[in-house]
Amino acid sequence: MSDAVLDLPSAREEAWRWADLGGLAAAAALAPVAAPEAEFLDLLGAKLLFVDGVLDEARSDLHRVTVGALAADDHALGRRAAGTGWSLHLDAQAVTDPVQIVHVATGRQNHVPSEIVLAEDAAAEVVETFVGAGWQNRFTRTRLGKGARLMRSVRLLQPAGFVSLREAAEIGEAASLVAVFLGAGGQGSRIDAQLTMAGDGAFVEYGGTLLTSAEQRQECAVRVNHAKPNGASRQVWRAVAADRSQVSLAAAVEVARHAQKTDGEQSLRGLLLDRTATVNLKPELEIFADDVKCAHGATVGELDQRAMFYMQSRGIPRARAEAILTRAFVADALERIGDETVRAAFEADADAWLEAALD
Amino acid sequence: MATKNAEALAAVSKKYEWGFATEVEQDFAPKGLNEDTVRYISAKKGEPEWMLDWRLKAFRKWLTMESPDWAKLNIPPIDYQDAYYYAEPKQKKTIASLDELDPEIRRTYEKLGIPIAEQEVLAGVEGARKIAVDAVFDSVSVATTFRAELKAAGVIFLSISEAIREYPELVKKWLGKVVPQHDNYFATLNSAVFSDGTFVYIPEGVRCPMELSTYFRINAENTGQFERTLIVADKGAYVSYLEGCTAPMRDENQLHAAVVELVALDDAEIKYSTVQNWYPGDENGVGGIYNFVTKRALCQGKNSKVAWTQVETGSAVTWKYPSCVLAGDGSVGEFYSVAVTNNRQQADTGTKMIHLGKNTRSTIVSKGISAGRSDNTYRGLVRVAPTAEGVRNFTQCDSLLLGDQCGAHTIPYIEVRNPSAQIEHEATTSKISEDQLFYAMSRGLDSEAAVALIVNGFAREVLQQLPMEFAVEAQKLLGISLEGSVG
Repeated sequence: MSDAVLDLPSAREEAWRWADLGGLAAAAALAPVAAPEAEFLDLLGAKLLFVDGVLDEARSDLHRVTVGALAADDHALGRRAAGTGWSLHLDAQAVTDPVQIVHVATGRQNHVPSEIVLAEDAAAEVVETFVGAGWQNRFTRTRLGKGARLMRSVRLLQPAGFVSLREAAEIGEAASLVAVFLGAGGQGSRIDAQLTMAGDGAFVEYGGTLLTSAEQRQECAVRVNHAKPNGASRQVWRAVAADRSQVSLAAAVEVARHAQKTDGEQSLRGLLLDRTATVNLKPELEIFADDVKCAHGATVGELDQRAMFYMQSRGIPRARAEAILTRAFVADALERIGDETVRAAFEADADAWLEAALD
Repeated sequence: MATKNAEALAAVSKKYEWGFATEVEQDFAPKGLNEDTVRYISAKKGEPEWMLDWRLKAFRKWLTMESPDWAKLNIPPIDYQDAYYYAEPKQKKTIASLDELDPEIRRTYEKLGIPIAEQEVLAGVEGARKIAVDAVFDSVSVATTFRAELKAAGVIFLSISEAIREYPELVKKWLGKVVPQHDNYFATLNSAVFSDGTFVYIPEGVRCPMELSTYFRINAENTGQFERTLIVADKGAYVSYLEGCTAPMRDENQLHAAVVELVALDDAEIKYSTVQNWYPGDENGVGGIYNFVTKRALCQGKNSKVAWTQVETGSAVTWKYPSCVLAGDGSVGEFYSVAVTNNRQQADTGTKMIHLGKNTRSTIVSKGISAGRSDNTYRGLVRVAPTAEGVRNFTQCDSLLLGDQCGAHTIPYIEVRNPSAQIEHEATTSKISEDQLFYAMSRGLDSEAAVALIVNGFAREVLQQLPMEFAVEAQKLLGISLEGSVG
């Protein structure tokens, strides 16, 4: 793969308006670093370690995960990730232990595809962690059969560089996809997702927390397409921006002509810690059916001064009060993580970031 | 078109109540668009050299630009060479009073229900509220009333071509300041070929003694209308400006690309109200006006205020984002909108609130009503600059869907760069309630009257912002626009 970043869309295109496209090339051009220690959480199940996009078999334990060639999609980011990747296929009724994947990068760029296919009533949990430097680009195709359930947790902890995630998911009848993202590193990011509610009564909860400082730029661009009736989707995103950083949250709900009784909800909230920071929000609704419930709420601002006053009047120092309130603000988007070990790890990462930022 | 035909059209005007054409001799510029067209228009208006240069500069820029395609609109390619860019009704020198107006034009106004006669009566009544009408018939102002009284107050209310001749310095100072020539494709086109429009200047400390009103009307077949409006409210001034539009029935798509610029200096207030009811095309989307409008207000002074209120029921395609640049500290921007789409209409409309000054506030209330096979999009931007302390914004976007073949979309952009800002956005989408319909119908209303009643209730917050005369017309319009959408 060449280092040139050529055929990416321009920021003049609506869907890429806030994207940090220069950040991709810049990340790939960064000086390589030594591979950081890969730390797996204390969970049962498969453990995969990718170093610069290549599976480190000696340090991995595949269980039911297979590795092989996978096709990419035609998305500007997704199509780069053709080649060898991992896949998890579960038969009907199958339930597996959590799958943990750690992506370590030492620099430059790497692209890995993956595929999660769950048959009827299967259930799985996937936890991914990104560490290191450079540009890591991932394409994940998810297909959930009738009644299947998938819990995904992804944390971006690279101190520098860029992580781009292209997600394409099809959620079948009464299936459920819950995905939580945490951007608590120093890297730039773009979480670019297209989720299709392909079956009656499908459920999606897709959200997370993006924390930025210095010159960092992180963004999500999520599109939920309700193609079938009775679906429910929730998008809960929280952004905290300090210094001269920028977080952009673009979440769209599309309701197709006959997708009646759809319940779409979006909650996008941004918190600015400095006056040089930027939060961009775009809660978008596109509705073609008349019997639906779609609501979005979006707010940006600083911490509630009344809450601050109350806490200080109770003897809590200002800095501590700020930390408590900010933590509560962020926690909204992380509480959906089902596994306690994973949730605790994510919250610890968010806390570590907040402590550094609020110092 | 012969008078017979006009009568025939009037007879079938039930579908589009105000669809008819008036036969008046017109002066046309040759069809097509090139530098000669621009020179022709400028010469026809007897414009000074600097104005022609300004137009030509815009035209050359326009040639290098591309038509925007980011809106959620499906527009067939427009052949800019297949249109007339200038059409002026031939008139007998200047007209002293409305009585001398071309009787055909008078009849047109009567059919439109413009209460000119009523206004004349009103004018005679002491203490009664007055409305000054600068009637734009196609592209040139035919008659301007109440000029004397306005002049006494020091208000300048002229067609823009007159203003260019009589107050060149004022026009030069502000024209293109709010909407630069190169702002966007349609604004640039307008800058090159704008035919006429309105210029209003309210001097320092003056409260304009009457509501100002202009009726825009596209009349000649195949004439794009390129209006240019410039309103400047000096320190402490107040003006309320009303703009209402209807157009005759046509088969061919007509292009309308207007530019409206408002400037409010310290403590000034401008209230700009629009009722837009151009021909929306028939049930199958044939014909109808293309309405590509750039409207922008600059709240330059401290504590200045601009309020946009619009009721959009017409046009096949609407592309319109009345915006406020809140540069002065403590300035206020408001946007109240009702957009109704039926049949195959498409509307992509909304606002931009650019907060630059400290303690600036903005309110956005948008009500979208879609019926038939139409698409109705709210697209808005709230931007808070790093220097803007204590900004407050509240946005509410409600959509109402009538039927399951239409679409309602909400695309709000929020860009905040100052932590002291408080930005709130709310949106809901719902359908018309069966219970409400049933109740209204059980009280003896037919389905259309019931829908009109419910829709008027839904849009009440916005309609309340309109001046009295407009509120009545707007309520009627909402009902008419939704005819045939239920049952």
